[in-house]
Amino acid sequence: MSSRMEAEEIFKGLSEAVIAYDEDKSVEFAKAALENDVDPTDAILKGLAHGMEKVGELFDKQEYFVPEMLACADALNAAVEILKPHLKIRSEGPQVKVVIGTVEGDIHEIGKNLVRIMFDAAGWEVYDLGGNVKLERFLEEQQKTGADVVALSALMTTSMAAIPEIIKMIKSAEPRVTVMVGGAPLSWELARKYGADGYSPNCGTAVNDTLEAIRRVREGHGSWER
Amino acid sequence: MTVTDRAMKLLKGETIDRIPLFPFILGFCAKNAGYPIATIYQDASKSFELQTFTLEQYSFDWGPLYGYASYGTWEFGGEIKMPESNYEQAPFHTRFPVNVEEDVDQLQLPDPAKAGVLPIAMEFSKLQASNQRPISIICGGNFSIAGNICPVETLCRWMLKKPELVHRIMKMATDHIVDVVRYWCEAFGAAQVIPQMWEPLAANIIISPKQFERFVLPYLVESSKKILAMGVQHILYHICGDQNKNLPMWTQVPTGNPGLCSFGIDIDLSVAIEYLGENNVIIGNIDPIALLSETPDTIYNLCKTAIEKGKSAPRGFMLSSGCEVPPEAPPYNVYIMQKAIKDSMASG
Repeated sequence: MSSRMEAEEIFKGLSEAVIAYDEDKSVEFAKAALENDVDPTDAILKGLAHGMEKVGELFDKQEYFVPEMLACADALNAAVEILKPHLKIRSEGPQVKVVIGTVEGDIHEIGKNLVRIMFDAAGWEVYDLGGNVKLERFLEEQQKTGADVVALSALMTTSMAAIPEIIKMIKSAEPRVTVMVGGAPLSWELARKYGADGYSPNCGTAVNDTLEAIRRVREGHGSWER
Repeated sequence: MTVTDRAMKLLKGETIDRIPLFPFILGFCAKNAGYPIATIYQDASKSFELQTFTLEQYSFDWGPLYGYASYGTWEFGGEIKMPESNYEQAPFHTRFPVNVEEDVDQLQLPDPAKAGVLPIAMEFSKLQASNQRPISIICGGNFSIAGNICPVETLCRWMLKKPELVHRIMKMATDHIVDVVRYWCEAFGAAQVIPQMWEPLAANIIISPKQFERFVLPYLVESSKKILAMGVQHILYHICGDQNKNLPMWTQVPTGNPGLCSFGIDIDLSVAIEYLGENNVIIGNIDPIALLSETPDTIYNLCKTAIEKGKSAPRGFMLSSGCEVPPEAPPYNVYIMQKAIKDSMASG
């Protein structure tokens, strides 16, 4: 890619490379972005993140599955590694800090990791606590990082029971923090019953569901509807 | 009629007085008798005793059973942890045998007499035999073992980037299943053994139907054929999670005459019967979350609907929870399943 490239062409190339989970191509276009003086932030947001948004839609429609999602994320991350050292700090789009983890008693991290990928792709600052996370760690990490959102995941019915306990801890200490929940046994109804501010049924909608929940919390709406 | 007569008659195609209630209930049995959940997995004798109490209390028609979904990790050289805290439901892996490509070269087939949890499972099966209960060994399914040998995310990445590694791990899992079932058959006689394979990781929330066809189906067929060739009469597959798009392929997996297939809430029982009812007893599929958090009325109605659909299963139907009954489920909600069965007899 030695000839001069337009920014739009690079964005398209990055987006398509992510969708095609082509790591070589995404790296190639990331290098092209730098060589052609394309703003690295634009390359991430208008290229890579745009591609990942499409990947989320494909996952939602069951055209892509976990293997494809992970491979797309690898292509995105490979390009981000090239672009990251050249990023200039620029506040564009919602800047969200999220603490995320799978709750105590539960080591299932796939769902949580897919949601983290989407948060990363949206340019959010993500603090991933991993799996089997002790209840109090969520609040500790939120207070340490000043996160706007705590996202809790569970796959087991026993571990799911930890969620209302964690929400109680967070809400009594930090009522303005948005708490999101997700995972196979959860539902809109259970999320509401547990006192969560939002629920996301899958990773494809996680970013928008979280933004919506943040808005509700900031506007002081105690209850929420689907 | 003894505890399991009803289910055994169903397998023989004989007429039975009511729909059997199949147990998918482990941690609940420990709590029900005042013991920690880990007892179910650590102590074969106590596990058998505690399950027997609950199965009798709620008139289940099968069991006790021994097994858990993380099977394979310990047996292939990784580590698991028994449930301890209030939020832990079953043993879970703390270290996988395979994390990087080179680890696949080190994998060796476990000795069914000694590896991991198998000595406890064998002790449990001896109790099944001496108490005239169905002798089961829960040792799969193939892809779920592979996902317990190697983190599922790594396995998923390798499906696209290094498929030969996935095939090697699947082959190891398949050979292991065959080895374990053969060992059980040698101990108890093939006709007495009803192996169970739980296959949650093959759900379409994780892999595509095409990936199922390429990486899972051939191995399911291989181990099933070899197990049936030993003289095993019935294999039970728990087709867990949303596997609607895999169902046409599941019809290619031999399961015995009849086999047994159990389902979670993501697969409608009528659809399950349509695909697999001709050759299998159908088992399912009361929502475990409903058992945990809904009213008895709601559960009763779910059971009525399931029984109504199950009646059309040509090889028979057993009512069951769609996955493990949550250990914290209200006891009355568990009782409702049996009540719905008895009421359905009264109403014809």
